[in-house]
Amino acid sequence: MSAARLEAFLAKIYVEEDSRERFLLDPRGEAAKAGLNEREIAALEKIDRAGLILTARSLQKKRRRLFGKKPKG
Amino acid sequence: MKFRSAGENTIRDRVGLGWRRELAVGILSHLDRIDIVEVIADDLFDAPRRERRALRALSAQTTVVLHGVSLGLASSVPVETKLLEKTARLCEEVNPEYWSEHLAFVRGGGVEIGHLTAPPRTDATIEGAASNLERARAVVGSAPLVENIATLIDPPGSDYDEIDWVKGIMDLAPCGLLLDLHNLHANATNFGYDEIEFLKRVPAERIGAVHLAGGKWVEALGERRLLDDHLHDVPDTVYRLLAELAAVVPHPLTVILERDGDYPPIEVLLRQLDRAREALAEGRLRQFERIEKEAA
Repeated sequence: MSAARLEAFLAKIYVEEDSRERFLLDPRGEAAKAGLNEREIAALEKIDRAGLILTARSLQKKRRRLFGKKPKG
Repeated sequence: MKFRSAGENTIRDRVGLGWRRELAVGILSHLDRIDIVEVIADDLFDAPRRERRALRALSAQTTVVLHGVSLGLASSVPVETKLLEKTARLCEEVNPEYWSEHLAFVRGGGVEIGHLTAPPRTDATIEGAASNLERARAVVGSAPLVENIATLIDPPGSDYDEIDWVKGIMDLAPCGLLLDLHNLHANATNFGYDEIEFLKRVPAERIGAVHLAGGKWVEALGERRLLDDHLHDVPDTVYRLLAELAAVVPHPLTVILERDGDYPPIEVLLRQLDRAREALAEGRLRQFERIEKEAA
């Protein structure tokens, strides 16, 4: 189940700006709140921050095209 | 097309284009220069009947293959049955030579990501992908070719590098590979690995098709990454990778050029297909020369 939780957590921080900002301020706290295990939390603390920002930007453009101005969750 | 060495061996590779509404007239007017057409399956799931009829008419004129973008096969979460059923209905209607999907996750925890995303490369996603591929085969009637995706982020929580992860899935699932050479180039550029070494480790006998595309540089926090956006021409490096591939793959290759916007005149895209044919010819010649040298 933890693998599915990690995918859900990533989906959230990739597309939801508020979740991403909270995560970048406190990666450990936000990952722990999502029920991730210690290994996953440690991996998220070392996240590729440039990659995360670029992924989020790219997805935002694609989601605008797909879902209109207000992207679906 | 047919490539010939000094000996008797011939390999008939094919080069084609992704179907997009904006390119329809250009494609239909130049079917003599386009060996195969790849149609996005998801565009047709809920398309009006006339559009599906048009697709059937197209498949009567040329070889058509279907390409899916929304199944999210590379996930520890089971793929949605209704999406598999839609794919199955479309395959039954169009009877494509093959269908393909990405090794990506596209949703999680009720959030639709809206595009292809690299999952953590772990045993859980290897096993999840294999299980999803088995379900896809059972529902659709055939397994898809699976495509390597481009990513701007090194997927967090990964235990495997990309090639070991892809091979791990292919070891468990009896499917072919749709090798996207621009995705490979982008990931190798962004995460500092050798694309030729990656190519050497791809199971050549399992490659069913190849994608070509272009991209652009993007930047954040002082770091530059190559984005695979399908809005730019195919770069020279990707043609070189295609020649490398043609030098080692023993069977005919199907090569598809993908373009999703900023469409140039069709002649520009046809010239890119010709360049792909030249790269294939160069690689095939090297392969034949090597075989003849070994036989001598």
